[in-house]
Formats: sequence, C-alpha cells, structure tokens
Amino acid sequence: MTLKVTKVVGGYSQIPVLKEVTFDIKNGELVGLIGLNGAGKSTTINHIIGLLTPFKGQIEINGVTLAKDHDAYKKQIAYIPETPILYQELTLQEHLEMTMMAYDLEPNQAWEKAHRLLKMFRLDNKLDWFPDNFSKGMKQKVMIVCAFITDAPLFIIDEPFLGLDPIAVHDLLDLIEEQKHRGASVLMSTHVLDTAEKYCDRFVLLHDGQVKTEGSLPELRAALPDAGESLDDIYMSMTKAAQQ
Amino acid sequence: MTGLFNTRLKRHLKEMFKYLRLVFNDHFVFALLIMLGGLGLAYSNALKTLPRLPWWGAPTVIVVLIAILQLGSLATFLKDADVVFLMAKEGGMTDYLRYAKRYSLGLSAVVQVLGVFVLLPFIQVTVGLSGVAILVLTVTQLLLKDSWLEIDRLAKFRGFPGWQTNRFVWRLVIPTIILISGLYGTEWLALVLAVLQAGLLRVQGRHTRTQPLNWWAAIKTENNRMMRIYRFFNLFTTVPMLKGEVKRRRYLDFLLTRIKKTHSNAYLYLYSRGLIRSGEFSGLYFRLTLIGMVLLYFVHGTWLPIALAALFIYLIGFQLIPFYWQFDDIVFTHLYPIDDRQKAASFKKILATLLTVTSGLMLIVVAVVNFNWSVIAITAIVEAIEVIGISGYYLPLRLRKNR
Repeated sequence: MTLKVTKVVGGYSQIPVLKEVTFDIKNGELVGLIGLNGAGKSTTINHIIGLLTPFKGQIEINGVTLAKDHDAYKKQIAYIPETPILYQELTLQEHLEMTMMAYDLEPNQAWEKAHRLLKMFRLDNKLDWFPDNFSKGMKQKVMIVCAFITDAPLFIIDEPFLGLDPIAVHDLLDLIEEQKHRGASVLMSTHVLDTAEKYCDRFVLLHDGQVKTEGSLPELRAALPDAGESLDDIYMSMTKAAQQ
Repeated sequence: MTGLFNTRLKRHLKEMFKYLRLVFNDHFVFALLIMLGGLGLAYSNALKTLPRLPWWGAPTVIVVLIAILQLGSLATFLKDADVVFLMAKEGGMTDYLRYAKRYSLGLSAVVQVLGVFVLLPFIQVTVGLSGVAILVLTVTQLLLKDSWLEIDRLAKFRGFPGWQTNRFVWRLVIPTIILISGLYGTEWLALVLAVLQAGLLRVQGRHTRTQPLNWWAAIKTENNRMMRIYRFFNLFTTVPMLKGEVKRRRYLDFLLTRIKKTHSNAYLYLYSRGLIRSGEFSGLYFRLTLIGMVLLYFVHGTWLPIALAALFIYLIGFQLIPFYWQFDDIVFTHLYPIDDRQKAASFKKILATLLTVTSGLMLIVVAVVNFNWSVIAITAIVEAIEVIGISGYYLPLRLRKNR
C-alpha cells in the first residue's frame, strides 16, 4: 500500500473543502482523480504533498506520515504541478542538478536518465537555456523530466495532458507505465476522461469535496448500472445525480 | 477608446502621486531646495564669467536642446492583457494612441519650455539671440518634440518601412540639422523645417486606422517605460511592481562552479545562482558597496570611517535578509526532502561571504585613505564583529520571528 488517505477533512481556511476523503493507491497502480473544477482535486493533492495540513484524518505514504518523519515522507513524492513552476534564475541543466541535489540522487545515474528523457522530449539541445522563457508545453516537459529522474515511489501528477503535444502525451503515458512496472504508484488528476479510461487502473470520483465512488471501471459500472458504458457516461450521470 | 485611456490615465496619475508623496517627503524637499539654490547660484556666477559670443556657444546650445528633446516618451498605458482583450478593437487604437500622444505632448511641453527657460540666459550671453528669435526657437523645439512623439506613435504600427520610423534619424539627426539651420542660419528657417517635418509625419500616419498594431513591441516598450519609473521610485521606497529581470551573467560562472553539488549544498546552489542572476538583490548589494566605498574615499579621521563602514555593512546585511524567502512561492522548495536548518545554514554562508567581501573592500579603501595602523586595525575588528553578529546572531533571530 503506497498511499493511504484516511478520512481527511481539510481546506485552505477554517471552512473545510474536503469532507472525510478516503482512498488508497497500491504499489504499481495508476489511479485517476476525477472531478469538476472546484471538486477538491487540487486541494486533495495539496494535502498529500504536504502543503496543507488536514484538520482531521491521516495521510500515509508507505506507512510514513509527515508528522512522523518530514524528510522521509517528502523524499517519496515526485510532483508535477498543473501549471509549470520554474526558477526564473536557473537554466534547464541547473533545474535538473537542483532536483538531483535536493533528492540526493547519484549524479551519474540521474544524468543517464535525464539524457534519455531530454532526448525523448526534444529538450537535449536546450540545457543552457532558461526554461522560464519556454512555451507552456515545453515547461511542462521540464517538470516531467525533473519528476521522472527521481526514483520516488509515489508520483502525483496534476492535469498532465494540457499543453503537451500528442507525441509527448504518449511518451508520458509510456513513462508512467514504466514506473508502474518498477512498482511505483501514480495519482493523476485529469479532465481528459477517454485517456484516463484507457490507462488508469482505478478511479476516485470526487464531487463537492467528497468521494462519490471509487473503483475500477467494471466496479463503477456495477455500482451505477444505468449510467452507461464509458467513464464519461458514468461521470456525467454521477454529477447530474449529485446536482439534483 | 477615449474612456479607456482616461480611466487608465486617472489610475496612473493616482499611482504616481502616491509615490511622489513618498519621494518628496519633508527632508527630501528641504535638501532639494538647498541643492537647487546652490545650483542656481553657481549657474548665475558662471554666466558672469562667460566670454561674449564664443565660438562654442551655438554648438553647446544645440547639444543641450537635443538632450532636452529626448526627455519624456510616449505614455500609452498598454497592459500585457491588451493583446487579447483589445484585439477586436484594433481599429480604435489609432484614436487611443492619439489621446496618449496628446497627454504625453502636454507633459513634455512643460519640460521643454522649462528647459529652454533655464537655458535662456546662457543663450543670450553666448549666442546673443533676440527675444523674438528665442520665442521662435521655443516653438521649434515644441514642434520637434511633437514629431519625436509622433515617431513613437507610428512605430507602434506595422507596415512602415524601416527608415520611416528610424528613431536615430528622426529623433537625433534631423532635429540636429534643423537646430543648426536655426542657430547658424535664421530661426525662421528652423521653424519652417520643423513645421515641414511635423506635416510630413502627419501625412505618413494618416492610414494607421487600417494598419495592424505591433502589439508585443508596443506593450514591451510601455512595460520598459513603467519599469524605468518604478526603478526611480525604488531608490526611495519599495515598489512591489518591480519584477527583476534575469540575466545569465556567464562571466560570473567561475564563482558558481566552486560550490560542490551535494545534497547539503542544494540551497547554497540555488541562492548563489539567484543572487547573481536576478537584478534586484545583486544590484542592491553592488550599489550599496560602491556608494560605501566612494563615501569612505572622501571621509578622513579616526572614528568616522569606522562608523561609516559599520553602517554600510549593517545596511547591506539588513536589506539582503529578505532574500531568504525569495523562492518560497516555488512549491518545490516545500517538497524537497531538505531540513529548514540546512536552508538557514546555506543562507548564512551566503550572507557572511557577501558581507566579508564588502568588509574587505571597505577596509582597503580605509587603508588607502587613512594610512594609520590603529584605524585600520580597529576597522577590521569592528567589521569582523559585525559580520559575525549579523550572520550568526541577528539572522537566526529574524528567521525565527518570521516563521
């Protein structure tokens, strides 16, 4: 069991956005976090990566909580934010070096991985550029490279497909697949439902800060027999039912 | 579009007045008055010693008038988002920019007239022009400024061949020729030429309504103009809008390669690069160190240099400390499995190094100016105590308070 979120109540101020959110991700699993804008996806992610402290409930990664061991908890997470966040003052090469230093990676091995990823995303000739001036898609690729050179057991990926070109989308999905084989877990929030349907092992459907349903596609179909076949249908009928 | 320009103008003026109030505080006004008085006195004394009609009179007047001509650029108040939100209104931008030019011309006309007014006694003594001639020259100068701003307006549109909006030609070469014709020929010739230039530019600009706007260039020019204003205000007060520019500064890489790339050095790596490449803090450090050294060069005595060196080290240390939080809005700094103690230790190292360098430079100046062993020794001791005090005791205190 990599990630275990238990009855988390939380939010930005006193008013809770999340209401007893509970789900888990097992080793080697890709779980899709699905929900409307404002459903609480990003809030959930911010709680998991430790930017917010839950009012109630507990979040564990491989048995470690943030309170128990700060560094050990954070070392297990690789995070790709929805909007790329970069250091204005660092070049692409320095972003990679910064990541290697921060996560204490062995430089030779990490650079070997980095070169492969840079080539894959056609960034290998831009090592001395400031990525802050890149286009949205290229910035996103920098974030992906930085995340995937770590050997983190848990990847948190927030809406990864927007701005990426079709080749990069496939490369990213391949990379996720690779990490799953290694035994790493991935939590991915997305609105691109047909891609999610194809690649995710399980889904957590969030609505209004609550987990509405959770499970694999067959399980969701069984839980909502009238909703339809695809994830899109199930999701639409679920939100409609919730709004009524 | 008039409405839009006027709202923006109002907001701009409100902001400027807010800053001007901060700049022109009582002490500063007092110092300024004394300085202006002194300058005025020096100017009037200098005028008395000038020879009548020297050969260099006219060239000097031309150079000064051309310099004054360059003051004040076209204020358009364009914003980054305009490229999206005003896209459909591109045709209306001709009117918008006309209003912008009218406002800018009004503002710079005051500057031009003031400039000519200050120069007036000098012109009378060295060139010997009559009152009417000076009046004609003033009108010429205003027309030249009008053309100067018109070039700025036309440059906002695409579709002019390069020479038609060449700033060097229209703002420097042609005005110089016109002023030469006025001071060596007759002032009326200069007036006619200036009217011709302004007319020519009007003809050139009559189709701008159907010409596409060069949005990015126009917005960039306006942003740079505002940055210049903010940078000036930043000398007196903190300006939140001032976002530093990042420069690569490859020639300083030799300083950075000394830092070993290990886990414990992660923040040292980040802070050192941030400091060297962002303008804000490195500029502050560089400026204050330089000013301190220049002041120390002119100061003699026993205790004054010591006090001054101590003051500058304190000022620099005090103002550099906020750099500790520079990267806090980058989410990854909160995700790295790095202890905050390591971050603080790295920052302490950076701060101590910078202050030691400043101390060393100031000590050299003190030693060169006052060659007295006891002064040098006491300065060195005071500086050492201060550097240790700021980085070892004051810094942890501030960090604890701000947590």
